[in-house]
Amino acid sequence: MNAAKTVWNGVREEPTALWSLIFIMAVCLGGFLAPLLSPYGPGGLDEQRILQAPGSSHWMGTDALGRDLLTRVLYGARVSMTVGIGTALIALLIGTVYGLISGYAGGNLDHLLMRIVDVCYGLPDLLIFILLSLLFGRNIAGVLVALGLVTWVRFARITRGQVLQAKEFVYVEGARAIGASHARIILRHILPNILAPVLVTLTFSVPGAILAESTLSFIGLGINDPYSDWGTSWGTLAQDGWRAMRTYPHIILFPALAIFLTILASNFLGNGLRDILDPRGGSQEK
Amino acid sequence: MLKQPRKNAIPSIPALITFFLLSSCNPFSPTGDLKTFRVNLGTEPPSLDWSLATDHASFNVIANLMVGLTEFDKNLKPAAVIAKSWDILEGGRRIIFHLRDDVLWSDGKKVQAQDFEYSWKRLLNPKTASEYAYILFDILNAEEYNQGKIDSPELVGVKASDDRTLEVHLKHPVSYFLSITTFEVTYPQRQDVIEKYGSKWTEPGNIVTNGPFLLSSWKHENEIQLTANPDFFLGKPAIDKVEMFMINEKTTALAMYEQGRIDFIDNQSIPIFEKPRMAKLPGFKAVPQLRGYYYGFVTDRRPFDDVRVRKAFSMAIDRSVFPKILHGGERPATSWIPPSMQAQNPKIGLNYNPPEARRLLREAGYPDGKGFPQVTLAYNTLEDHKTVAEAVQGMWKRNLGVLVRLENQEWKVYLKKLKTDPPHIYRSGWGADYPDPDNFMKLFTSLSGNNDTRWKNPRYDQLLESAAREFDEKRRIRLYNEAQRILCEIDVPIMPLFTTTEHTVLNPRFTGLEFNSMARLFLREVRPASR
Repeated sequence: MNAAKTVWNGVREEPTALWSLIFIMAVCLGGFLAPLLSPYGPGGLDEQRILQAPGSSHWMGTDALGRDLLTRVLYGARVSMTVGIGTALIALLIGTVYGLISGYAGGNLDHLLMRIVDVCYGLPDLLIFILLSLLFGRNIAGVLVALGLVTWVRFARITRGQVLQAKEFVYVEGARAIGASHARIILRHILPNILAPVLVTLTFSVPGAILAESTLSFIGLGINDPYSDWGTSWGTLAQDGWRAMRTYPHIILFPALAIFLTILASNFLGNGLRDILDPRGGSQEK
Repeated sequence: MLKQPRKNAIPSIPALITFFLLSSCNPFSPTGDLKTFRVNLGTEPPSLDWSLATDHASFNVIANLMVGLTEFDKNLKPAAVIAKSWDILEGGRRIIFHLRDDVLWSDGKKVQAQDFEYSWKRLLNPKTASEYAYILFDILNAEEYNQGKIDSPELVGVKASDDRTLEVHLKHPVSYFLSITTFEVTYPQRQDVIEKYGSKWTEPGNIVTNGPFLLSSWKHENEIQLTANPDFFLGKPAIDKVEMFMINEKTTALAMYEQGRIDFIDNQSIPIFEKPRMAKLPGFKAVPQLRGYYYGFVTDRRPFDDVRVRKAFSMAIDRSVFPKILHGGERPATSWIPPSMQAQNPKIGLNYNPPEARRLLREAGYPDGKGFPQVTLAYNTLEDHKTVAEAVQGMWKRNLGVLVRLENQEWKVYLKKLKTDPPHIYRSGWGADYPDPDNFMKLFTSLSGNNDTRWKNPRYDQLLESAAREFDEKRRIRLYNEAQRILCEIDVPIMPLFTTTEHTVLNPRFTGLEFNSMARLFLREVRPASR
């Protein structure tokens, strides 16, 4: 629990990280409370309010069917944040376990597992996203799995590298000497020591996933279901809007801004965390 | 005072961009060639075989490669082309076409009456499986041959009595037959070419045509190139070359127009949001179309086998919404025959009535949409169709409590899907092949290959048969009124939504492009504007 305190203190001292955290929390909360925050629904048709410019009753204006854009952006946050955080967690789970096994076992198994990672790393991401999302279908679970299956390799590499280091520490050797089981060594002695870099990687993969989901949506493979609780993702909103760029720019401006700011904030937060957790040299790498 | 310059600064950015775009299409630039005319087809034509083509993209290519017996003049009256004259005998039951002697195929042979006989019989041959076979069913024994009731094509009432004379026997006199022969599916074909190349006969190098342009290349899913036919019997066209692009994304197509890389755009290339801006450009024209936009119910499965459900869905739509969301001069319609066609009757059809729609749905066993199965509405991938579908989805949700799933496919795939694995509700449109209600109404007969609703009504078929042979206008209108009531009020296999208007912009460097209410792109008369 000491670590959590360190992080919190660190974040409080870095205003960019703090503001980024607040922003991301606000986006998550906004998505969660969308039905309470907005008097409008995310779907439907309001023929009286078609293509209204941003104003007092519609802060972000309305779209081609008269739907309130702010409401759609809020609902879109549900998809984007779920995909962002969910994908990162899936990737974390797969990648960390994989990296732990690979690094801890060493030898030929390590060699084999890492070559598989190399192959996965070499595949073009977007192509794999497209193939997998076609395979799993155009729903939130499908996108999560598709993105998770592509992003786990980064976690695997970082975890393995850290495990290789940690394995050589004296206390690990000590644990082994007194006959601790492999599971105990991994969970009690290695894992806590490699958490910091993994956590930083986690923060950085959130914006990557949001962007990937937006890209998929923008090329028409994403989530578009204005009637489910999931709403329409930001990428799909941007896709709806880009055709109107010259005549009704507000339709693309706000979803694009939401994507941009969320990704920026996640990156700032990731940078901040790295500085806090890795006081040795993180800031020089920036 | 401060506001003034700022106000000016904003429009100056688009103006600057436009300036740069326009400067790229000056006559000195290689893209500004006045001998080449470039258009956007919007999609890959599914077939250039005029016995098999069924859609707009295909016919727009064919219409520039071929000519037939007759064609429409500017008032949409049939005028002579290959036929130099015709005799109407036996009170309209027999028509004899006298053909010109100077029409050549692109390989130098003369166009003969036998080429028509072959083509028409090929269209009717059940093995050809043409969706348009029914268009010739007014000919003696044509329907019987197509339906396999007789085997011998000899009995079909079309015959070349010599090279220059084509004799047609009709089952009964029909008022619109000379309009049918303007339609591409009745154009002549070369038996030797088709038998030699089989299904590959429409590829460049194989295809033999007789029209103003020749097919010089066809890069599938990308571009078709036509070159002027120097031996065209009405004279070589003024432009040497036509490039037809297959750009599905309207924004891309519009950008290409504004960069001077396309010379003509229509609804296929103008995004909804840009329509008001296009109306201010030089060369802009709005042409109301004989084209209906409808949703069809596939009536042979639950839940749309129940007419009450179909009626409820049709009554739950406020059609006045469409011009507001599509911005293209759409005219809402509850009946099927479009404005400025005989027998058009806006009083027919189901009007917007949500309480009644809910009552019908309750009666059918789905009070407030409860227990309604998951149904799919499909459309071909296009921004306009998506907008319409989402609006309709919204109205059904609001008025019936039913949430319909939306699905879309690319055009060619979509057309195939309608035949093999249809959704519950599908989007479609129908543009007139000839300006007679017969053409619109026969789409939904039992034997029409274009009727994807799988709905059949013998009374409807019979009414259309009677209307086709009826020459008295009042009686004819009465027959069509009854048929339209069956289609749009009683059985409701379809719900008409609106009729369309085509917005077109022709680069002012060119002139002579006639875009009629049947949306055919005739490029024969296109020429550089005189300066």
